[in-house]
Amino acid sequence: MIEFDAVTLRRGNQILLDKASFHIRSGEKVVLTGPSGCGKSTVLAAIMGMFAPSEGNIFFDGKRLSPETVWDARSEIALVGQEPILGAETVREAILLPFEYKARRHQRPTDDAIIESLRRTGLSPEILEKRSAVISGGEKQRAVVARALLLENRVFLCDEATSALDPVSKEAVMRILFASERTLLSVSHDPDWIGRCRRVLSLQDRCVVEVTSGTEKGAIS
Amino acid sequence: MTIIVLSPWMLVAVYTLLLIPLTLILHFRLGLVRETLIAIVRMSVQLTLVGLYLSVLFELNSIPLNLLWFFVMLAVANSAILRQAKLAPRRFFLITFFGVSIATAGVSALFVLAILRPTPLGDARYLIPIFGMVLGNCMRSNVTSLERFYSMLRDREKEYVTFLMLGATPIEACRPYFRTALRAAVAPHVSTMATMGVVSLPGMMTGQILGGSDPSTAIQYQLAIMICIFTAMMLTTSLNLLLSSRVAFDKYGVLRDDVFSKRAG
Repeated sequence: MIEFDAVTLRRGNQILLDKASFHIRSGEKVVLTGPSGCGKSTVLAAIMGMFAPSEGNIFFDGKRLSPETVWDARSEIALVGQEPILGAETVREAILLPFEYKARRHQRPTDDAIIESLRRTGLSPEILEKRSAVISGGEKQRAVVARALLLENRVFLCDEATSALDPVSKEAVMRILFASERTLLSVSHDPDWIGRCRRVLSLQDRCVVEVTSGTEKGAIS
Repeated sequence: MTIIVLSPWMLVAVYTLLLIPLTLILHFRLGLVRETLIAIVRMSVQLTLVGLYLSVLFELNSIPLNLLWFFVMLAVANSAILRQAKLAPRRFFLITFFGVSIATAGVSALFVLAILRPTPLGDARYLIPIFGMVLGNCMRSNVTSLERFYSMLRDREKEYVTFLMLGATPIEACRPYFRTALRAAVAPHVSTMATMGVVSLPGMMTGQILGGSDPSTAIQYQLAIMICIFTAMMLTTSLNLLLSSRVAFDKYGVLRDDVFSKRAG
């Protein structure tokens, strides 16, 4: 699904990743750890085509990321950051935002589909009419995930997705992410994330090291 | 009506008024004394020289000379736009030069050559002041729109990336910033138009009346120039945002590093 082949990532003179290679298979739940500022978020940015490698290749679904293929790759990826960005005035507008774009205009979901995606993330339909600015961080995060469910993205890239949430919201978001069949690559230091992921990759000394291959405890249906 | 010509002593009296703002700037420690003094000296020297130059230009009324002057005005305005918007001239100069030129020259030419039709047709006395007013106003609106647009893209990078990840093309992802930037650029002009004559008496009209024109003629010119300015402003700001965004992103839709001038920080 996602493959790094001898990838070097540089920011200015600093080498963040030095000829690193790793492979994430479809449906795997993987967590990427490492010291602050070592370039974990840059790895996610590189997968999204937002940060070009200075050497090596990144493959998504078997295709090398390039200006031609990056748009298809992005259409498969849902980004869940620490600060969820809804990008519209109301929750309804935010949920429907991607379907305003030309590439997805024909996929506009029905009201029933929207309500179902909200239900799966533990949100009530009433939230649709609320202003994005007034809902809680946990609700925002779940709305972002609900939107991703509607988009049928096959990959979740999470960057400290639950670090700002209270324990209840955190558990709710993790439950949704780990329950799905989708590929999950998360940057996190949280022991709960690390414990639930089958594979733990660590970014150390500019290399990606496989730390452990545990059981996928998070696969809750 | 007798026109009162401002004598040098009268001007000196007016310049003494500057003591008031300068005192206030010092009193409130705004740190603007040096910049203000430089600006006043520059304004005085530039206007004196332009006054002399325009006298020659109007006297000669030569089309190649007028065109050369337009080119100089456009180049200076375009440099000022990019400098004040903190954008890199190397990446944008030609693009924004084209955007500003095509709209300001087009609208001014339409008004002077097709509507006013002075004799001789390209009379510098009409062309240059009208082009200057249109260009000056467009310069301010372009500084606002470009500065706002690119600073939003830089400051709200995560939001822009989110839009891309939701399936937007770079143009679609920029649309909210485009709207905000355009609105910020033209809204002051819209409110100026709405209050014109009540809150403020516009400069061109005042100048014409002081110069001995009939007030109704002055008002007709003022209305015409306001509409020309507004049209050119919308055209230049839209064009420059659209055209500049073509070169501001790489093939992956990422804002290039060299978009901002090095002094922007």
